[in-house]
Amino acid sequence: MSKKFMERIIGREELIRVIEGLLGNFQVVGPRELPGKGVFYQPMKNARDIYLGGGFTIEPVKKFFLSPSECFFEQKRNESGEFLEEAPLAGDKRIIIGARSCEARGLTLLDKVFDSDYKDSFYINNRKRTTLIGISCDSPDKDCFCTSMGGSPTEGRGMDALIFEIGDQFIIEVISDKGSDIFGSAGSELNEEQKKLWESDKKKRKEALSRKVAVPDGLDKAFGSPYWERASSACLSCGVCTYLCPTCHCFDLVDEERKRLRCYDGCAFADFTLHASGENPRPTKKERYRQRAYHKFDYFKKNFGENLCVGCGRCIRHCPVKIDIADIVANAPLDKES
Amino acid sequence: MEDIYLSNLAEIVDIKKETPDVKTVRLKFKDGKIRDSFDYKPGQFVEFSVFNEGEAPFCISNSPTRKSEGIECSIKKMGKVTQAAHELDIGDTVGIRGPYGNGFPMEELKNKNLLFVAGGIGLAPLRSLINYCMDNRADFKSITIVNGARTSKDLVYKDEYPKWEKAKDTKLHLTVDCQEDNWTCMVGVVPRILETIRPTCKDAVTIVCGPPVMIRYTMPVLLKIGFCAEDIFTTLEMKMKCGLGKCGRCNIGPLYICKEGPVFTYARLEALKYEF
Amino acid sequence: MIEELRNKVKELFASKRVDVVLGYQRAVDGVSAKPLFIYNQEDAERLVWDSYCVYNLACYLKELAGKKVGIIAKACDVKSIAVLLQENQWKSQDLFVIEVEEVKPSAPADKYESVRKLEAKSASERLKFWEEEFSRCIRCYACRQVCPMCYCPRCVADQSMPAWFSRANSLKGNLSWNVTRAMHLAGRCIDCGECERACPVGIPLRDLNKKIEKDVKELFNYEAGSSVEQKPLLSCFDKNDPTDFIK
Repeated sequence: MSKKFMERIIGREELIRVIEGLLGNFQVVGPRELPGKGVFYQPMKNARDIYLGGGFTIEPVKKFFLSPSECFFEQKRNESGEFLEEAPLAGDKRIIIGARSCEARGLTLLDKVFDSDYKDSFYINNRKRTTLIGISCDSPDKDCFCTSMGGSPTEGRGMDALIFEIGDQFIIEVISDKGSDIFGSAGSELNEEQKKLWESDKKKRKEALSRKVAVPDGLDKAFGSPYWERASSACLSCGVCTYLCPTCHCFDLVDEERKRLRCYDGCAFADFTLHASGENPRPTKKERYRQRAYHKFDYFKKNFGENLCVGCGRCIRHCPVKIDIADIVANAPLDKES
Repeated sequence: MEDIYLSNLAEIVDIKKETPDVKTVRLKFKDGKIRDSFDYKPGQFVEFSVFNEGEAPFCISNSPTRKSEGIECSIKKMGKVTQAAHELDIGDTVGIRGPYGNGFPMEELKNKNLLFVAGGIGLAPLRSLINYCMDNRADFKSITIVNGARTSKDLVYKDEYPKWEKAKDTKLHLTVDCQEDNWTCMVGVVPRILETIRPTCKDAVTIVCGPPVMIRYTMPVLLKIGFCAEDIFTTLEMKMKCGLGKCGRCNIGPLYICKEGPVFTYARLEALKYEF
Repeated sequence: MIEELRNKVKELFASKRVDVVLGYQRAVDGVSAKPLFIYNQEDAERLVWDSYCVYNLACYLKELAGKKVGIIAKACDVKSIAVLLQENQWKSQDLFVIEVEEVKPSAPADKYESVRKLEAKSASERLKFWEEEFSRCIRCYACRQVCPMCYCPRCVADQSMPAWFSRANSLKGNLSWNVTRAMHLAGRCIDCGECERACPVGIPLRDLNKKIEKDVKELFNYEAGSSVEQKPLLSCFDKNDPTDFIK
């Protein structure tokens, strides 16, 4: 019998008890507000710390799967000579409680890169050993546009279970076996009235998204336009948008202290495509910003059928100079004259 | 699951100084199983690790028909990894990941007249292909090689030239940019030399590799001679890191050079609406 | 007031004295502001000026070398321009500074209050404080990019031959980067606060820079950016410089 796609309804105290049970046996991580600084994923010490606030984590849940920096192997020597010691894959199970639908959906896009051809064992191991439990948003802000990117605050793609807080009850959508292991027998099944309540709740959450973004088809027509120079003029060429994006995944491979490391990198940085010869095919912000916009809204779509964007709004919310990629792309001139 | 980022250890068995800044390094895999099973197409590349310095992509410059001697990479001294590679000695251990890339489409070259056009270190990927043709000579028709460099000191694989000149139905044209003492071959940039020689375009395919400026001026000349864009192949050079189409660095439009390339036809490049 | 500003900018273009003017425009949300690159008189109509115009536009000067640039500058922005002129990064004839008055909240009685709180901690407490803050650093380099004084063509953090810091966002690498940047700004930082504002993870970078600013004031009686004629502190030698730290 498939245990997927069942719903349970559970009271607050029972939810706390379920989480307390997890704390004793696994690493549990959840959003936590650091006063004056923002919401960050932190180890959860107390089940009552479960984050039900409206704020969004600054860093997306991506970093638990595609690590900001990790070691692949280390060069060592023994009596027989040199050898490479592979970094072990982390074995401990981990549970994340409190991710949003947008950042979880970002993982399904990263799966297309890291779990397709040339499978990335480090990323895949992290996906396997992590149970991702989301909490549905009820207060999107002005920068959110997930519904324009094929997502919604009520969907659970990329997650194992999704929690809806409705009044003093929690409806839990169980999405996978991992989610079922935790919530499969929690609370009770929904009755008809509760199902109706849930449907109208989901509708309300989706309608709360006020921002709509229309990404044009055929963006490649605008590639040669001088529009991109103006659009990118204020860009600082830093890495904020890239590192905080649930779907950005560019990286660098570097050797340090006899270790081969993978570190985050970004197409916005000036030396990202700098050749050793000194040539740089993307010498100015125009080429680099255009690369970012096109990778997300043209190239990835051509290769995988979806935009490389989940509409979480982090890039807009945290850009130090308020560059808005959704606005820029939506207004790209598709006629040849511009 | 295989670790796609793990290098295979290889030992340097020979180093040849081609020019003041180019060395050809020949390697043998330490693991016997890999030594036997490693196979590749001309035009493919490997990610070459000088441990603790870094990793860089180099095309395999010897033909797969001769891989029992080991695999060869020709390295031009440019930056951190290549500089470190030039300090290596015979017996040193390096890392090899690969082979990556699409390589040359060997089936499309069979039974054709082949024109190879190379500039400087651009001869490296072509040498793998040329020697493959030499070792399977009957599969190909006439071979014309135009190889140019800034000065005679910058010409690579000089020891190959007598062998190529002697080969059946094969012509080698060497050129340098300016006249030098004791230089008896042609003088002039490669595009100009092509116009002078006018190699046949009938039933022919051409493979071009060299610095971007050479390619930019060679393409129109090839079209003028009568080659179609679908029959002109080139191998592109972009900064590549992972070789796996993941790190986001080497793309032109939706194409990752390390996966869908580095070998492309001129027609495909022209059709890309994205400049590079 | 805004009309006066727009007209000043239009006049710079009419008299062909500038290639570009750096100013502010309304952001997409309709409320806040964002930087504006003005290339002609028409663009000048988009200019705005209010309390949302927090950006120090001097950070764009590093990429506009060779051009004639107009820049709308608040009081501390003017100080950063002064430092750039002192350091020969710009010729004053290529720069047209349009000074604007900002409505600032009254300055705190003691501008080094938070620095003193940190100084009062023991060394190990202070290290613990900074380790906690820098554990969140994601090495986005927004602090560097937004700083007008970070104009090195190849930043020490990006060099590979040799590589000076770990590229990984380990605590060691993060401390190396942030402390080195603060040291490179010694005697040059004018406390515009942009680095701290730009930092996405809320690291109190100003406290680090202000500590050095306080030390510079106490050791050398020097305040960065006070005039164009002032000499840069750490690239000049004065025989009256204190030497008691040389043992």
